[in-house]
Amino acid sequence: MLLLIAPAAVVLVCFQIIPILVGMNASFRDWSLVNPLKTWVGLSQYVAVFTDPVFLKIVLPNTFILMVSSVSVSLVLGLGLASLLNKSFFGRPLVRTVILLPLTIAPVITATMIRWSFNDQFGVITTFLAYLGLPEVAWLSDRWPSFTLVILTDIWIWAPWFTIILLAALQGLPPEQFEAAKIDAATPWRTFIHVTLPMLRPVITVCVLIRSIDAFRTFDQVYILTGGGPARSTEVFSVYVYVQAFVNLDFGRGAAAAGAGAIIMLLVGVGLYRLVNRTMVRSR
Amino acid sequence: MIGMLAAAFRRGVFSIGILAIFVLFVGPVAILVLTSVRPASGAYYIWRGTAFTLHNFVDVMQQSQVVKAMFNSFVLSSLATIFSLGITVGSGYMLSRFSGWIQRSWFATIYIFRTVPYISWVLPLYLVNTRLGIYDTYIGLLLPHIAVHVCFFSWLMKGFFDGINPSMEHAALIDGCTRWGAFYRVALPSAMPGIAALAILCWLSTWNEFLFALILTGQRTPMITSTMAQFVTETGTEWNLMSATAVIAMLPALLVTIFGQKYVIRGLRM
Repeated sequence: MLLLIAPAAVVLVCFQIIPILVGMNASFRDWSLVNPLKTWVGLSQYVAVFTDPVFLKIVLPNTFILMVSSVSVSLVLGLGLASLLNKSFFGRPLVRTVILLPLTIAPVITATMIRWSFNDQFGVITTFLAYLGLPEVAWLSDRWPSFTLVILTDIWIWAPWFTIILLAALQGLPPEQFEAAKIDAATPWRTFIHVTLPMLRPVITVCVLIRSIDAFRTFDQVYILTGGGPARSTEVFSVYVYVQAFVNLDFGRGAAAAGAGAIIMLLVGVGLYRLVNRTMVRSR
Repeated sequence: MIGMLAAAFRRGVFSIGILAIFVLFVGPVAILVLTSVRPASGAYYIWRGTAFTLHNFVDVMQQSQVVKAMFNSFVLSSLATIFSLGITVGSGYMLSRFSGWIQRSWFATIYIFRTVPYISWVLPLYLVNTRLGIYDTYIGLLLPHIAVHVCFFSWLMKGFFDGINPSMEHAALIDGCTRWGAFYRVALPSAMPGIAALAILCWLSTWNEFLFALILTGQRTPMITSTMAQFVTETGTEWNLMSATAVIAMLPALLVTIFGQKYVIRGLRM
C-alpha cells in the first residue's frame, strides 16, 4: 500500500523538497553566480531583501495588487458570464467555446499578443482607441498603464476559469428553491443575491483560495509583457527573484527572496487551509 | 406596441453584449493570426492593405531552433503526461480509500507544497541540475515537470476515486480479486473519463509551461515557450515572424479548444 505513494513521494522529495533545502542553504551564503564564494553570511541576505526599497515599495505592493484585483474582478466577471451561459440563447455553444481560448493558449503567447495589440505605434487596439478619440496612452512605457495591462491580461486569462467552474456549480444547483423564488415573485436580481449566491458560496471560496495562491506566483505574463519594466516598476515577486538571481547574478540574494516568498505563502496557505476546512464543515 | 419595442430593444442590447464577449475573447487571437499572414511590410498596419502570404510560416519552419523547440516540447509534454498520471493515480487512490497517519500526513504535505511558489524551488533546482550534470537536458526538465504535478494531481485523483462507490471493489474482493486487482480492474476503469480529461490538461500545461523552460534549459534543449520569449525580448521587431511562431505554438491549444472542449471543461471542473 505504501508502494502506491512511493514514486510520487520520491519525485516530490528529490525535485521539490531537496531544492528548497539547497535554496535555503544558498540564501545564507555569499553566492554570486559569477564568483560563488559560498561564505556563510547569516541572515544578511534576508536583511538586504527586506530593506531593499524595490522589494518593499514596488514588488510586494505590485504582487498583492495583482492578486487582489485579478482575483476579485475575474470572480465578478466569471459569475456574470456563468449566469449568462446558464440561460439558453443563440450562439451559446460558440461563446462557451471561445472562452476556453484563454485557458488553453500559453500565457507566453497571450502576453505576446497583448503586447503586440497595445504596441505604442502600431498596436491595433492603441490605434483603435486613438480613432475613437480617446487620449493616447503610452501603454508600455509608464508604470501604471503597463501594470494595468498586466492585470487586464491576467483577468482575460482567469475570468473564463471562474466561469467554467461556477457554470458547473450553477447547473448542479437544485431547482426547488428557484421555483419557490419565482412563485414569490422575486426579481432575477434578488433571486441571484439571496438564493444563488449563498448556495454557490463553498465553490466560490475554494476558487478564490486556489486562485489567490496561484496569483502570487504569476510570472509568464509579467515577464513577457513588461519584463518588470519600465525601470523595474512592474516587477512582481517571481520576476524579482528571477532578476536577482539571473540578471544581477546574485544567487544568494535571489534564494533569500525566494525563501521569503515561500514563507509568506506557507503562512497564507496554512491560514487559508483552516478557512477552507471551516467553510466546508459549515456548508455540509 | 411599446412592449414589443422594449422587448426588441432588450434583445438588441443582449445580442450586442454577446457579440462584445465574443470579440473580447477572439479579438487578440485574431489580431495575432492576421499579423502572421501579412508580409513583413504589411505587418505594422494590419487593418490596411490586402497582401496576404504564408511565407512567414515557411520562414519560421526553416529555422532549425524553432523546429527543434517544437519537437522537444512535444516529446517532453507527452512523457511528462504519462509519468505524472502514472505516479499520481496510485497516490490519489490511496488517499481516497485508506486512512491513517500516513495518508493524513501525505495529504498535508501535498497541500502545503502546492502553496510554495514555483520560483522558490525552481531557482535552486538550477544549482541541483548543474551539479548533477542534467542542466539543459530532457531528464533535467522532465523530472521537475513530474514533480510539479504530484501535489495537485494527487488531490484531483483522490476526487475521482471519492466519486466512485467502493462497494464495487468490495464485491471484487469477495469474488477473490486481490486488493491490487480490485484497483486495476474495477476502480481504475471507472476513473478513466476523469483521467483522460486530466491527461489533456496536463499535456497542454506542460506545452505551455514557461518558467521551468526559461531557468532549466539553454541552447541545447530549447522549448517552444522559451524560444518565443527570446524572440519577443531580443528581436521584438519582426512581428510577422513572431506571430507566425506564436500561431504554430498555439495550434495544440486551438485543436483542443475545438475538438476536446468536453475534456477541458470536465478537467477544469474538478
